Amino acid sequence: MIELVDVSFSYDGSQQVVRGVDLHLTCGGITALVGPNGSGKTTVGKLAAGILKPGSGRVEIGGRSADGMSLAEIGSEVGYLFQQPQRQLFAPTAREELSFLLRVQRVDEDEIRRRADAMLKQFDLQHLQDSFPFVLSRGEKQRLALAAVLMNRPQFLILDEPTTALDVKRKAELSKLLMRLHDEGVGMLIISHDSRFVGDLAERVVQLRGGEITDDCRNQHRSV
Amino acid sequence: MTAETSTDQFDPRSKLVLVMCISSLAVLLQDAVMMTAVLACGWLAAIAFGVDVAGILLRLRKLLYLFAAMAVIQSIFTPGGEVLVSLGGVSLVTSVGLDRGVTIILRVLIIVISAGIVTTASSRDVVQGLYQWGIPYEIAFMVALAIRFLPLLRQEAEDVLTAVQLRGLKLDEVPLGQRLQIYSYLLMPMVSSVLGKSQKLAIAVEMRAFRAHDQRTSYRSLQMHGGDYAVMGAAVAATAVFLLAAWRIGRI
Repeated sequence: MIELVDVSFSYDGSQQVVRGVDLHLTCGGITALVGPNGSGKTTVGKLAAGILKPGSGRVEIGGRSADGMSLAEIGSEVGYLFQQPQRQLFAPTAREELSFLLRVQRVDEDEIRRRADAMLKQFDLQHLQDSFPFVLSRGEKQRLALAAVLMNRPQFLILDEPTTALDVKRKAELSKLLMRLHDEGVGMLIISHDSRFVGDLAERVVQLRGGEITDDCRNQHRSV
Repeated sequence: MTAETSTDQFDPRSKLVLVMCISSLAVLLQDAVMMTAVLACGWLAAIAFGVDVAGILLRLRKLLYLFAAMAVIQSIFTPGGEVLVSLGGVSLVTSVGLDRGVTIILRVLIIVISAGIVTTASSRDVVQGLYQWGIPYEIAFMVALAIRFLPLLRQEAEDVLTAVQLRGLKLDEVPLGQRLQIYSYLLMPMVSSVLGKSQKLAIAVEMRAFRAHDQRTSYRSLQMHGGDYAVMGAAVAATAVFLLAAWRIGRI
């Protein structure tokens, strides 16, 4: 689904933040990307989503070079949850947040309502459907942002620190939801510091240190 | 200690005077040819002060549709002059309307490019410069903070635009009306984020016992040099020439 081949990247043109990364992510698998602060996890995530262009090496999404794809084309296949969820919330109400982009894409109004209702229920946001997204708590914003990403039904998800600001109950619910998506064949790259969360979910754990992959192994302790 | 670059040698006050002159001309002038000349002067000044003009224009490219929409709307709703485009006997675009639309685009470009000059001065020096000019510290500090937030606002705008496209939206293919609605939506996360940051900043500085008292003293004192007076003199003289020329042709 997503392939990074010998990818290197630098923000300022001199210091390499990511060095020679090779990563093959398949549809249906859950991969965790872990590592200390500043190890380049978010940068690798953004490279995999085509948001950043590699300085050298290549990124392929669905067999096509990410270079030749627009963000909208990538977005229809890969969903990306930002570390700061408020950056991907735009609309005046939570329901409109889920609906407006599908409306622009001329999806049938009944279908939009059906999908939005399902998402609001799934993420326990029904009571907040008319709320202004910016007044929601961090956890609620996180859930709304993820729900909005899922409205597009992406084949692959890249989640950057999805458990930040979620309490134990919400984490468990998120874990259950991600497992269901996994069962439906959605692939995932979870970037996280939450070792217990990724330990329970991921089939594969990739360790990043100083912009390089130092370990890439199957997770023996997966419990879900 | 880092070495000063050639543009750091200029007092922030000379940069502020230059930007005030250029942006005043952008607001006062009505003639597209003269505004193009002001844009050229502002562009050259920005390059001389080390502003990444090409980068600014590249980023503005994303707002091209908004500018074009503004120009077309102005053009349609401003009658007069020669009819350039008409539909069923109704004039849609007139020469006067088109001129008005073009001047709006030029005005925005001049202000954005000249504002880049101020961002080359450190916010600390801008406060100090304004304070030495007798402007109350509180206001000087507010101006410096506003300048400090410009690059942040730009970064926010880029992130938000990336996020909305990553949700599968092909902006190029969206009809103009809906595109304007989307742009209005995009303002929300940007404004919300900047307000949040400024609130956090206010709390952080107050927690460190900062107060914008007028009786503050400063170890650092700015000194104007010959180059600063030359920049300010040239800016004021060029502004006067432009205004005089505009007044003589009745386009002010």
